[in-house]
Amino acid sequence: MLFDTTQLALQGVIAGTAQRHQALASNLANANTPGYQRVDVDFHSTLSAALAQGSGADASLQSATFSPAHDRSSGAVQADGNTVDADSESAKLAQNALEQEAAVQVAQTRIHILESALGVAGR
Amino acid sequence: MSFFGSLDVSASGLTAERMRMDVSAENLANAQTTRTAAGGPYRRKEVVLEDAAPGSFGASLASAMGAQTGSAVTPGGVQVAGIVEDSTPMKTVYDPGHPDANAQGYVKMPNVDTVTEMTDLISASRAYEANVTAMQTAKQMFSKTLDLLR
Repeated sequence: MLFDTTQLALQGVIAGTAQRHQALASNLANANTPGYQRVDVDFHSTLSAALAQGSGADASLQSATFSPAHDRSSGAVQADGNTVDADSESAKLAQNALEQEAAVQVAQTRIHILESALGVAGR
Repeated sequence: MSFFGSLDVSASGLTAERMRMDVSAENLANAQTTRTAAGGPYRRKEVVLEDAAPGSFGASLASAMGAQTGSAVTPGGVQVAGIVEDSTPMKTVYDPGHPDANAQGYVKMPNVDTVTEMTDLISASRAYEANVTAMQTAKQMFSKTLDLLR
């Protein structure tokens, strides 16, 4: 099946990393804004909650939405109340990009397997 | 599409950091200026940045379309809120030969500290680089997703 649970989860990861990238880019853009609170998207917990639903996983994966939220766990790292640490944001950005690449690679491999089965891989 | 949004966010960061560099450069260039149109010596300027999420076009559009629910926030980049003048007192230098010296031989010099400006310049250029990196990453991620079509 092309649109099975795994494929839907991979789509979720690709959509989630895209949103998380925007949040992290916004944090970096506001690295010098006084009082700015860092924003993050926790798509992992949304996806794992959806996957934990057993037979209802497909439906909940399809309807899963991710929302950016203020991260109140990190304390102020700058004197002006800004909670952005540019180094950790860059690290998260790199990690997020690798995660997206991994999901895309797996999705691509699955498509190639399907193409082989259809006999169009040798075109 | 989210990736284009990321590019806009990073672009707003580039604009803001470039503005900080411009203003720092102006401060450095005027570190010895004793005459201005407003009278008196040059006063140091500073850029005030603000979070662009509230009231931005993208945020208004998203909330109008019902995308925002509850405490969700839209990451919307940064914008320049304004350029303010530094109200710290001017430096007074004893230089009786200066054309703007007062009767006692003291000249009021701008409240620009070159070391502060240099560190501000470094901070702005590092932040600029961070935004460029975020932009490149967005580009990479976008082209990786496009690779699915191959």
